[in-house]
Amino acid sequence: MLRKVVIIASVLAALAGLQFVAGQALDPYVIRVLSVCGINVMLAVALNLVNGTTGQFSIGHAGFMAVGAYAGAFTSVALSHHLSDAYGPVILIVSALASVLAAGLTGVAVGVPSLRLRGDYLAIVTLGFGEIIRITIESTAAVGGSQGFPLGAESIPAYASLGWIWAAAFLGVLAVWNLTHSSYGRALAAIREDEIAAEAAGVPTTRYKVLAFAVSAMLAGLAGCMFAHDATGGQHIDPGAFRLDKSVDMLVMIIFGGLGSITGAIVGGIFVAVSLELLRSVQQYRLIVYAALLIGMMLWRPQGLLGSRELTLKGLLRLVPGRKTERGT
Amino acid sequence: MTAALALDNVEMVFGGLRAVGGVSFEVPEKSIFGLIGPNGAGKTTVFNCVTGVYAPTRGAVTFHGKRIDGLPAWHIADLGVARTFQNIRLFGTMSVLENVLVASHRTSRANLFDVVFRTRKHADDELAMRKRAMELLEIFNLGDEAAERASSLPYGDQRRLEIARALMLSPRVLLLDEPAAGMNSAEAQVLKRQIHELRDRFDLTVVLVEHNMQVVMNVCELVHVMDRGETIAHGTPQEVQNHPKVLEAYLGKGGEEPACVTASASEREKPAETLLSVKGLEVAYGGIRAVKGIDLEVRRGELVALIGANGAGKTTTLKAIARALPIKAGEVVFEGKKINDTPPHALVSMGMALSPEGRAIFPNLTVRENLEMGAFTVRDPAAIARGFEQAVSLFPRLGERMTQLGGTLSGGEQQMLAIARALMSQPKLLLLDEPSLGIAPVLVDQIFEAIGRIRAQGMTILLVEQNTRRALAAAQRAYVLVTGEIVLSGDAAELAVDPRVQGAYLGEAVH
Repeated sequence: MLRKVVIIASVLAALAGLQFVAGQALDPYVIRVLSVCGINVMLAVALNLVNGTTGQFSIGHAGFMAVGAYAGAFTSVALSHHLSDAYGPVILIVSALASVLAAGLTGVAVGVPSLRLRGDYLAIVTLGFGEIIRITIESTAAVGGSQGFPLGAESIPAYASLGWIWAAAFLGVLAVWNLTHSSYGRALAAIREDEIAAEAAGVPTTRYKVLAFAVSAMLAGLAGCMFAHDATGGQHIDPGAFRLDKSVDMLVMIIFGGLGSITGAIVGGIFVAVSLELLRSVQQYRLIVYAALLIGMMLWRPQGLLGSRELTLKGLLRLVPGRKTERGT
Repeated sequence: MTAALALDNVEMVFGGLRAVGGVSFEVPEKSIFGLIGPNGAGKTTVFNCVTGVYAPTRGAVTFHGKRIDGLPAWHIADLGVARTFQNIRLFGTMSVLENVLVASHRTSRANLFDVVFRTRKHADDELAMRKRAMELLEIFNLGDEAAERASSLPYGDQRRLEIARALMLSPRVLLLDEPAAGMNSAEAQVLKRQIHELRDRFDLTVVLVEHNMQVVMNVCELVHVMDRGETIAHGTPQEVQNHPKVLEAYLGKGGEEPACVTASASEREKPAETLLSVKGLEVAYGGIRAVKGIDLEVRRGELVALIGANGAGKTTTLKAIARALPIKAGEVVFEGKKINDTPPHALVSMGMALSPEGRAIFPNLTVRENLEMGAFTVRDPAAIARGFEQAVSLFPRLGERMTQLGGTLSGGEQQMLAIARALMSQPKLLLLDEPSLGIAPVLVDQIFEAIGRIRAQGMTILLVEQNTRRALAAAQRAYVLVTGEIVLSGDAAELAVDPRVQGAYLGEAVH
């Protein structure tokens, strides 16, 4: 237990260090890209829990991200009226909790009716729910409607600097990792493999699908919160950022990384952020390049970069030539 | 003594089909109980009703005095009813150990908080579960394979892993759905011993559905026999083995259609050229060899029957000939041309047509459209028109139902449609798979009468049929398959009176 606390503390300390270095030495553009990477990692790992581990197919996760972004931004804007910037970290943490809670509840509300469906039906229903969430926001004047939030001269406080974003990503991924590598995770994977057999092994499948959906929505909500508060972002959110193509982006991340692999999702999330930047030079053709890359991927490596395997330090070392492998594969 | 499991008038209706119609039986505690019957008898449906995959339409299922019908499957599993599946349902990409561990999830005391924050409780719990799972794996000699992917195990090991997973639930009743399917006789011997050991070691009541009669007759203390969803016999293995209704269910009633018999008698002598020849055919599903090197041949104008008990490999053979399954070894020659690598659709143009098991009609197309699809390879409109005429003259009922959707036909009518559709491609060889399966007796009469007429028109037919007496009455020659090998072959009329045929179906009790 102590060891784990030490590890977590040192990772967070390292992120604080990164935060400091970033402020001093890094180019703002690089910080921007790294921030987007962190947010993408959360989104990809969140979606992977549902689509990869549990084998359900959601393409409505932009909706949960939106709920998290709005709930977080609403909270922090309200709090910043009463508290000075010195309380920034506290406000950010409270907002993040509000985001997680709101997105989680939305996840349950969407999951209960829709997770009785399978395959393409589920995909269509989640797509519908994602759009419903976005359109509801768009037509709610209290959060700025299609103008976005906040209205007027106000802006969302830019508390989520690089260190905070990656701290949130680290903790979120850790929670999902622990969940996946436990009896709960085995139950979820069993649902993916064979629902009837999972039931016969005593797994209440509907309940567990809703659980996976809720946890996934929570992490997507956290990503939304960081997105809203991203210090390198626009300090303003509008429903247009949470359209279907955002959900499709997330899907691309996990399909690229390998469905069912958390480390794959991380790689996929970073890949999507970085490749979009690298392809900026080819301007309007970048989407074509992107699409061609995906088609190639589907043809030659349909299981994604990592398949369902996880990237481990041990596995990486095994790739180093000349090193003795522990087990022949 | 209370019954471990009691079914009271359990009925299961799917749409219009009564798969199980009022079945009642009691399974005494700590007994080994067999549920048997020919294909389509409703045995697996009974299992599914007991384990909550289906909620029975009517009737009650009681487990140690508690009503369980209609409860969700996971709840029934939780109460102590564990099962395995006929067509193995493992969690393929998960490890062998993880497969077993899934079944312990409900007994785990660690909650979501423990798991996410990795508390001591989670660690202790995980350790205890793993220890127990390993113990179970050791019992089935799977300890060394604990880290392997479940799907990479050989077939017999997969079956055993399913049992280990079921036992991880600490059940009081264990339902085994065809545990010996696909096992060779040595493996089946071990299984027989293991079922006894498991019962004693884990204080279990065991119910098994099994087609391997050797296993049933040796292992079970009580046997319940079903046919077409109804109970036909109940008693000790010896009692049911000689029960006339059981014999009839397995071997079928004698064919009363003299037309079929005379056809075989009169043309027996005529030598004809070989249309289809199969040499050393082997077919495998993953690791299991379902057909183990068989030879057979069909001459032009002949009706040849391929008979044998459930799971003998009849349909597999037919599907391999029609190229719907990969051929592992051997060769199939049709009209002098080796067709091992010919794609199935090309075979239709070459003159081979399959009327598949389970009919496989297009449910959302009309009868007319179904027939038109059968004539997909035929370009001559006159020939198609003749095909329609023939279909209607063979099966007048289809004529009445031309505009009806295929899916709304009764089982018997669908079978007629499947045969008529196969004939639309104007084949030289008709492969007929189980035309009497799941069909009311009166329609079976009509179908066999039509088969006789098709043959009289000069069609060559290879018939797979579980109704042995009917098949032998209709055919000129027959091959008897037992667990993937041909054990008997020859003149159909002679085989019809050969006592060894009955032995091939019902096994011999070794009590």
